[in-house]
Amino acid sequence: MRQGRLIATGAMLAFCLFALWQSLLLSLTDRLGPGPGFFPFWLALIGAALAVGLLITTFREPADPADAETRIMPHGAGGKRWLAIVALLAALTMVMEFTGFRIAMLVFNAALVIAMGERRWWIIAVFAVLGSYGVYYVFTTWLDVLLPVGQIGF
Amino acid sequence: MDSLGHLLQGFAAALSWYYLAYALAGCVLGTLIGVLPGLGPAAGTAILIPLTFNLDATGAIIMLSAIYYGAMYGGTITSVLINVPGEAASVVTCIDGHAMARQGRAGSALGIAAIGSFVGGVLATVALVVVAMPLATLALKFGPAEFFALMVAGLCLVVGLAGKNIVAALLMTVIGLLFAMIGLDPVRGAPRFTFGVEELYDGIGFVPVVMGLFGVAELLLAAEKRQARMIEAELKNWMPTRQEMRDCVGPIGRGTVVGFVLGLIPGVGAIVPTFMAYVIEKRVSKTPERFGKGAIEGVASAETANNAYANAAMVPLLALGIPSSPTIAVLMGAFIINGITPGPFLFQEQPALVWTVIASFFVGNALLLILNLPLVGLWAKLLKIPFSYMCTGVLIFCVVGAYGLKQSLFDVWVMLGFGIIGYLLRKLDFPIAPAILALILGPMMEKSLRTTLEISGGSFAIFLDRPVALALLTIPVIVIAFLLFKPRSLDKLRESDVD
Amino acid sequence: MLIRRRTLLAASAATAIASPAMAQNYPRRAVQLIVAFPAGGSTDVGARILAGLAEKDFGQPITVVNKGGAGGQIGFTEIARARPDGYTLGFLNLPGMNTITLDPERKAVFTIDSFIPIVNQVLDPGFIWVKGDSPYKTLAELTDAAKKNPGKISACTTGILSDDHLAILMVQEATGAEFRIVHFDGGAQQLTGVLGGHVDVAFDNVGSVFKRVGTEIRGLAVTDVVRSKFLPQVPCTKELGLITVISSSTRGVGAPKGTPADICKAVETAFLKAINSTEMKEKMDAVGLALKPMVGAEYAKYYADLQAQAKKYTEWALKMR
Repeated sequence: MRQGRLIATGAMLAFCLFALWQSLLLSLTDRLGPGPGFFPFWLALIGAALAVGLLITTFREPADPADAETRIMPHGAGGKRWLAIVALLAALTMVMEFTGFRIAMLVFNAALVIAMGERRWWIIAVFAVLGSYGVYYVFTTWLDVLLPVGQIGF
Repeated sequence: MDSLGHLLQGFAAALSWYYLAYALAGCVLGTLIGVLPGLGPAAGTAILIPLTFNLDATGAIIMLSAIYYGAMYGGTITSVLINVPGEAASVVTCIDGHAMARQGRAGSALGIAAIGSFVGGVLATVALVVVAMPLATLALKFGPAEFFALMVAGLCLVVGLAGKNIVAALLMTVIGLLFAMIGLDPVRGAPRFTFGVEELYDGIGFVPVVMGLFGVAELLLAAEKRQARMIEAELKNWMPTRQEMRDCVGPIGRGTVVGFVLGLIPGVGAIVPTFMAYVIEKRVSKTPERFGKGAIEGVASAETANNAYANAAMVPLLALGIPSSPTIAVLMGAFIINGITPGPFLFQEQPALVWTVIASFFVGNALLLILNLPLVGLWAKLLKIPFSYMCTGVLIFCVVGAYGLKQSLFDVWVMLGFGIIGYLLRKLDFPIAPAILALILGPMMEKSLRTTLEISGGSFAIFLDRPVALALLTIPVIVIAFLLFKPRSLDKLRESDVD
Repeated sequence: MLIRRRTLLAASAATAIASPAMAQNYPRRAVQLIVAFPAGGSTDVGARILAGLAEKDFGQPITVVNKGGAGGQIGFTEIARARPDGYTLGFLNLPGMNTITLDPERKAVFTIDSFIPIVNQVLDPGFIWVKGDSPYKTLAELTDAAKKNPGKISACTTGILSDDHLAILMVQEATGAEFRIVHFDGGAQQLTGVLGGHVDVAFDNVGSVFKRVGTEIRGLAVTDVVRSKFLPQVPCTKELGLITVISSSTRGVGAPKGTPADICKAVETAFLKAINSTEMKEKMDAVGLALKPMVGAEYAKYYADLQAQAKKYTEWALKMR
């Protein structure tokens, strides 16, 4: 936990330093006071200072024995579910432009319900179909929300 | 007295079966828009406008206003149940509302939200009747300089949200502000931090970010714990208990005042009043440590302020013809299409219509309460659905929501990325709400400062000439300085309080 | 990466689709009409009225899609990048679109040649107004004062490099006045700014405020060669002798480059019929938007002329910052 906080704060420090460098590429002042780089520059500077401060205070904190038990990254059987959600979402977003919303969602829903431990085929089928074709119909026909139509025409 | 007479006539008209039916239909449709992903209140209201084309002007406006109120309320339901705020106004509700749901108190949270919304809405409408014109004109004096000061004050209040670790809260605020800088510079139009990616020109979308940080992160946490349900606690009660109701009298009262006052100022948006009301409650409370862990006062104050804001925002519209939020701009467009141009002359030209509309605001608020209280139990039951189904449902909801608003798959990636970030931040106990407030307020703050300087010709002295701006700027700075440099003595104070 | 793949696919799809057989049975499904501004704005109101009326003859639904942000740049980019198959059309806002392509800082990926202008709907002339109790009774009084005290009188636009911004520059060029230019985001902020006394004069368009002219606000001039039918009491800049101060916001429907000519023609026929209908006129009169139907060579010429005019003033504006 303490280690995780140190790493996260370090990442935020790196982010602020990166933003600081990027803001220097923009002009800091304009004809009337602050230019495009003004706010990013000062924010990044303050952010970096805060991050350093937080690093120091976190570092000084005594190690809490209870902390060692909470793992930061997902693990075990729950970790598999975690990974299934992230991986399926990423895959869905990657293919949706090509396959369109309906086909991508059909497979995604089926895979997700299975990954979460469902084995009855008819429940899987209901989720897959309603969550893809059903949702598509409702949103495009009634609500005027456009959902992706793939390059192959679905 | 003349106003009162008009108002009574207005009630007579608004309470006819014909108009009641339209108000009811509007409330139901609006709530659905608020609940459904992919439709912000502005876009949702816009797609429903054609429904009103075949009505007479009064009927159309009654229905549109009801849609507006419904949409403002709908986001509450998803916030409490699945920790997904549909729009900015519901972010604060998530903090304690979802925490309550995790304790099995979803019914109480939704119930108090409906009651608080009703009270806030009705009181704000009463105030609208009494003081609309003078207040609206006064609110115009609130220029870019004051606006900038208000945004700074709002951001400084973030520390009020922070528990022990003020530095972490401030760091999250700055990170949120840096993310808000992505996109075109508000004055020159130069791209910043976009790295040539066109999708970033309009900035990072608020909806995909909150859907990720709140909704997806919540799912990932639950999945890792192998929960059988989204929420494992038994449902305790459908309605707020007597004690809970008593605790919420103060928060509802204060929430109404905060929401109404800030609603008068065009452009403030719903998140500032909800945040301010919440922070005030936390400061006033004798047990501030309960906030963030399921304090019903937090839900009551935020939801009341939200609806008081929504009603007060009608004041600049009706009195001056100035739409103060994108949703109200859509509403105003619909008014105009129906042959009614809001503005000062409207009260003189068509008094019967205006007062019928104001009467229908009362009716709309009442209908929303009658409609929602019985449904609270039904909504809360959704939490009994097994996790595997809920997870799939919520993810469909989030994907459609993130994609639908701008029809952009890039936003779905943003949602996924922020989902993982949100998961890590939650585990590491970093506060998320300050970053979200900063993401919304950042662009408004920068733009208003630079507009102020355009008006003053580049001179910062303009802030010294404007007492309201000066006061708004200095008070929070003093508070922050106090909190930053005296945290130990404060902690001691708190500890001794507990003893 | 995402972008490159999309462009590639769009390009390959374009060659496959641009066969005459496709054009004959156009439209076979719903058509998207992209509006580069948020719901509720003037462009959106006009577009929704047009879509509603054109649908009837078109035979397929026309869906208005708001892609607001970055002064229209997001939406215009989307139109330019869309598959040129006639199923994505968009509203072209002139001169806002021109100035985006002319400002190198904006790094726009489209040029004005990325679009085919099909049919124009609205020409909303520029409108200069002050608060009802302002000391300036005429445009001449205002410009004289701004000449005597350069940089003291503040004038606001609805956005940087918008038609209003160009109109201020035109007035400055023609009269020698010098304003302090303040950029707001859209009409609502402008109204708050001027009525609240934070800014002296607004450069705006007729459509957004025409109903308020009278006690609340005072109209000084309409930047057009004729008076506006909505504001017959307000002089136009031509009769005031400012013949170079001609500015408006013009909005019409266009398609991405590469859309087959017969599809464009089908769109033109259906939309033009809707624009010329009496129902359209009634609805647009109510919102104060003046119709200006233009098609074919006339619209193309207007489109090109405007680019030249916008170029001159944009370069000037860029030099000033």
